[in-house]
Amino acid sequence: MIDRIALVALRELRAERRQPDGVVAAVTFIAVLVLLESLVVGPQMARNTDVAPALFWIALAFATILATMRSFDRELEDDALEALVALPGGRDALFGGKVLALTLVLGLVAAVGGVLSLVLLDLTVALPAQLVVVIAFGVAALPPVVVLDVVLALRLRARAALVPILALPVLTPHLLAASRGSAAALSGDATGAWAWAALLAAIALVYLVLGLSVVPAALD
Amino acid sequence: MRTLQLGASLHDATVVLDDRVVLRAVSVMVGPGLTLVRGPNGSGKTTLLRALAGLVPLARGDRRVTGDVLYIGHRPMLLRGLTARENLEFFVRFRGGDTSRIDGALRGWGLGDDMDRPVERLSAGERRRAALARTETERVPVLLLDEPFADLDDAGVSRLRQVIARARGDGRSIVVATHAHRELDEMAVAQIAIDDGAARAA
Repeated sequence: MIDRIALVALRELRAERRQPDGVVAAVTFIAVLVLLESLVVGPQMARNTDVAPALFWIALAFATILATMRSFDRELEDDALEALVALPGGRDALFGGKVLALTLVLGLVAAVGGVLSLVLLDLTVALPAQLVVVIAFGVAALPPVVVLDVVLALRLRARAALVPILALPVLTPHLLAASRGSAAALSGDATGAWAWAALLAAIALVYLVLGLSVVPAALD
Repeated sequence: MRTLQLGASLHDATVVLDDRVVLRAVSVMVGPGLTLVRGPNGSGKTTLLRALAGLVPLARGDRRVTGDVLYIGHRPMLLRGLTARENLEFFVRFRGGDTSRIDGALRGWGLGDDMDRPVERLSAGERRRAALARTETERVPVLLLDEPFADLDDAGVSRLRQVIARARGDGRSIVVATHAHRELDEMAVAQIAIDDGAARAA
């Protein structure tokens, strides 16, 4: 099972490397938002340790939706998804493989967006290690939620509109925990940062288990 | 060559898609050799093959398959962004098979110079050839081919006939849905006529 998940993830990353539409769209989206942030809310407000992380995580959530939708659009062209689903164990490996690949892609997007935020907004990080942990768990918790939503909406014609609508209520606890955790790490509250990071890890675990259980049946 | 006495069957299978009954209480059994599925457009040939492949849920009835199945549909089912070789390697590795046959199979299908081009840069016929090369690289006992001759030139048609003949000789079960290519009738051990979702032995 783990071998098959790794094969699906590798296939996904290879396709993304040759057709990097998803990652380019996600990086562009988050970069533009960071650039616009201080223009729209003003430099003082943009550097606020509550505002900057909230905008960063909202941008990353939308970037995840963009990258995931692109990944499944590519699968639906030429019915490549059916070939994978028809393989023995294909239904089981699809979710894990997609989540693994998208987590790696989003790690890159988050790194670019994070560095841009720190440099352009001139943010000071009080607890860098805790910030890295919060971002790592925050990134890991996004793909399981969004991939599950996209699979559930796969057969719907209006999925491009429905996926963000379906995903955002589910993502709200995630966005709250990731924003508060990042704010805590930026402002020096170690206890708060660890607590929010733990909540993000729990969200990632719950949706990973849920996705691995539900997606094979949903693909029927 | 090892003889594989395996096959697939549907018993009393009904498929409903978009509130429309597409297959009605169909019972078919596919054994070793070539089985042809014939019927007019929209009669349910594709759904019958997809039901045998386990790609559509049955509203009623059951499906039994002994061994793995390879289904190749109307479209090539290859992932864009990967080359023909990478696509085939993925399928073979996923089944835990031997990847050493891939280059030879792609060359045999006339893709010797194009196997390392991303599939989206291949023509429709070349993509179809790459997809059909899977019949030689994935040694599964049941092959389900939906209109496999579409987009193929004469050389491709000839190659496919050879592949079908070889698979038949190996004792594999091959199901081909087509409304043309009457010359296959001589090779077939069974024919299924399907019309308006109802199947009968022809």
